[in-house]
Amino acid sequence: MQHFILKRLMSALVGVLGVISLVFFLIHMIPGDPVDVMLGETALAADREALRQGLGLHLPLHEQWWNYLSSLAQADLGHSIFSGRPIVELLLERIPATLHLSLTALGVAILIGVPLGLLAATRQHSIYDYGSMGFALFGMSIPNFWMGPLLILIGALWLEWFPVSGREGWNAVILPALTLGTAMAAILARMVRSSLLEILDEDFLRTAHAKGLSPFQAILTHAFPNALLPVLTLVGLQLGGLLGGAVITETVFAWPGLGLLMIEAIQQRDYQVVQAAVLCISITYIFVNLFTDLLYAWLDPRIDWQDPS
Amino acid sequence: MTIVWLFILFISISLGCTESPPESTIRIGLSIAPTNLDPRMATDAPSARVNRLLYSTLVDFAENATPLPALARWEAVTPTQYRFHLLEPRPTFPNGDRITAKDVQETYRSVQDPKTASPHRGIYQNIQHIEVLSESTLDFFLLHPDSLFPSYLVIGILPANLIKIAHPFHEDPVGSGPFTFHQRPDDTRLILKRRKDAQLVEFIRVSDPTVRSLKLLAGEIHLLQNDLPPELVAYLAESPSISLQHKQGSKFTYLGFNHLDPVVGQNLIRKAIAHAINREQIIRFVLGGRARPAHALFPPNHWLGSSQLEGYAYDPPQAKALLDQAGFSGNRSPVLIYKTSTDSFRLRLATILQEQLQQVGITVSIHSHDWGTFYGDIKAGHFQMYSLSWVGLKTPDIFRQAFHSHSVPPQGVNRGQYTDPVTDDLIEQAEGASQNQTQQQIYASLQQRLLETLPYIPLWYEDNVALATTAIRGYTLRTDGNFDGLVDVQWTQSPSTQPQLTKETRSGL
Repeated sequence: MQHFILKRLMSALVGVLGVISLVFFLIHMIPGDPVDVMLGETALAADREALRQGLGLHLPLHEQWWNYLSSLAQADLGHSIFSGRPIVELLLERIPATLHLSLTALGVAILIGVPLGLLAATRQHSIYDYGSMGFALFGMSIPNFWMGPLLILIGALWLEWFPVSGREGWNAVILPALTLGTAMAAILARMVRSSLLEILDEDFLRTAHAKGLSPFQAILTHAFPNALLPVLTLVGLQLGGLLGGAVITETVFAWPGLGLLMIEAIQQRDYQVVQAAVLCISITYIFVNLFTDLLYAWLDPRIDWQDPS
Repeated sequence: MTIVWLFILFISISLGCTESPPESTIRIGLSIAPTNLDPRMATDAPSARVNRLLYSTLVDFAENATPLPALARWEAVTPTQYRFHLLEPRPTFPNGDRITAKDVQETYRSVQDPKTASPHRGIYQNIQHIEVLSESTLDFFLLHPDSLFPSYLVIGILPANLIKIAHPFHEDPVGSGPFTFHQRPDDTRLILKRRKDAQLVEFIRVSDPTVRSLKLLAGEIHLLQNDLPPELVAYLAESPSISLQHKQGSKFTYLGFNHLDPVVGQNLIRKAIAHAINREQIIRFVLGGRARPAHALFPPNHWLGSSQLEGYAYDPPQAKALLDQAGFSGNRSPVLIYKTSTDSFRLRLATILQEQLQQVGITVSIHSHDWGTFYGDIKAGHFQMYSLSWVGLKTPDIFRQAFHSHSVPPQGVNRGQYTDPVTDDLIEQAEGASQNQTQQQIYASLQQRLLETLPYIPLWYEDNVALATTAIRGYTLRTDGNFDGLVDVQWTQSPSTQPQLTKETRSGL
């Protein structure tokens, strides 16, 4: 297992290096100058040049890239060009909000998606099946930028149960989590249904029924755990995406997470913050995928540690 | 089992929210958060507006933008020496120390210090040195005479002892303004405390205008000022729990051109475009009537504004005739690229202008980009035609910055590379004039010249709009869109029984 983790971490390192290098060169290529952002257009040419030198922006791009990698190797993410605050501080401020939203959305997705998938699979071609899959289609079709304001209108303005946006109060997370969670629940419900349908005709389930288990018990204790493997992969991928910052949902709900930070930094041409946020997101993706693989191998004894995928 | 664990995690995480300030906190929604609370470093409008509340300045402006004594009155001892006397009672810093001439001297000295890297250093290059005469008197010595010098002294004054130890004012502001810094829970929220009665005021960044409006309707924020599409303003104003006030503003919207371009570089083409745009219709139907047609950078109520200027009337036949004169007749029509941001309202305006120009035979292709790319292109001169606004213009130094031939970026903001020797000459004459009246006359001639040569096509001055719930009262709007009204605004415990916004400010106009 240690060998496997080490191997994955090494390949992840190459992946992270590729991602941050690509982002570094792309962000430097798009129009817009951070020195203009910081000093405005009326600053003295000498001051602009001094700042450019201070930030190392006068150097050739490949040198800037090398300097950036060297700083990263020393765990120095630098300071925000725009606000002057240490980037680590900014990330530490935003990561809890993203974790809060992502895990709650995942909880919502599982609480809605798994029971719906179970219901649809066990009552195939019934009204429950059509209803559940109708919901899944509905959930997948509605974009978050529309779902968010709709939920605000119903939950915050008509019912007055939740705040419109922000992260204040215990219930502030419900609407953004529902917005994110329903789309994910829809995909999850379809996956649970199809995985279960593949298993329902298996011999071991017939045996479970033959030894006297109720249909509910047989499904919950025998069929469902076996149908979980593909679902787990899906959940892992979705969680990775969520932890990377749900940009649209965070914008609609003014949720102070990583996605919003990255969008603001791109708009302000705050190179350092964009790079740090992307680094953070790519590392999160890699660790979530690694964790999913390990969980996968742990849940299924047939899977070899040498190659769990 | 997995579900149970996740459910527990869900519940526990759901408790991990941020703290809310007391219910009586007055909350203001902003589209962009203030980023830098050090007045020497801030360049963005939200930071400048919040810093006005935290710090006192030597000089302020009247509604017509003439400089007024704020912390100090002044006299010109010689054309290159200005004496400032701090007015009594002098305001105090949070530790109780009164502002002294030394604080003023250190503040401006630190702005001039290249080590501070202040973006405002260029404005104060003309200061040779500052001499403190007593605790409340100081002299500014200039390199060259400048009759407008006092109007540049608008940097918030910082305590000299904290400047010396390089206190981080950008995150822990210490000023002598009507408010003190209270808390910044995260970079989307900023809470200030009013010094006279400890009333808390919170600025909340909500970038989406629809969500900002919904928060106002739900009572989660109590005040919204500007940055809302007209249709949302109209929708919110219909709510019985929301009061609307609007006031003529100075936000100047214009069409800019690349004067090196073979098509829009021709004055005839620019004049044709000016005659092809139906401003009145756009103001009435798109801006909801909350704007005034503009003919110059400064509105008529500015001390340099002129009501004598006659703009370009909507006249499509005249526009076509001018195009003919420019050699665009028959099947030959100009094709222009119009750059704008991705803001939905600005895009809508762009499509309307496209349609109006099409009526006279000018084909417009709209190129919209995210703000950073769009603004980067404009500053780099990569455009043929664009639209932008100037916010908070007060002093006439903008004429040099935007129209003098020596102000092509990076020396200034003459982004379209407009060159006109007459304009240059008028700018220099006005700057050198010692009499206020002479200066005003020259600036009037300059504005007439700009209207004839059209480096910009002036479009309109947008009104300021404030929408407030009945939870607050006494808020007054300012022409410049600053938040000075927060100094007197009151939180009311029983909104339904309280009067709404005052009549004077409701009428606004």
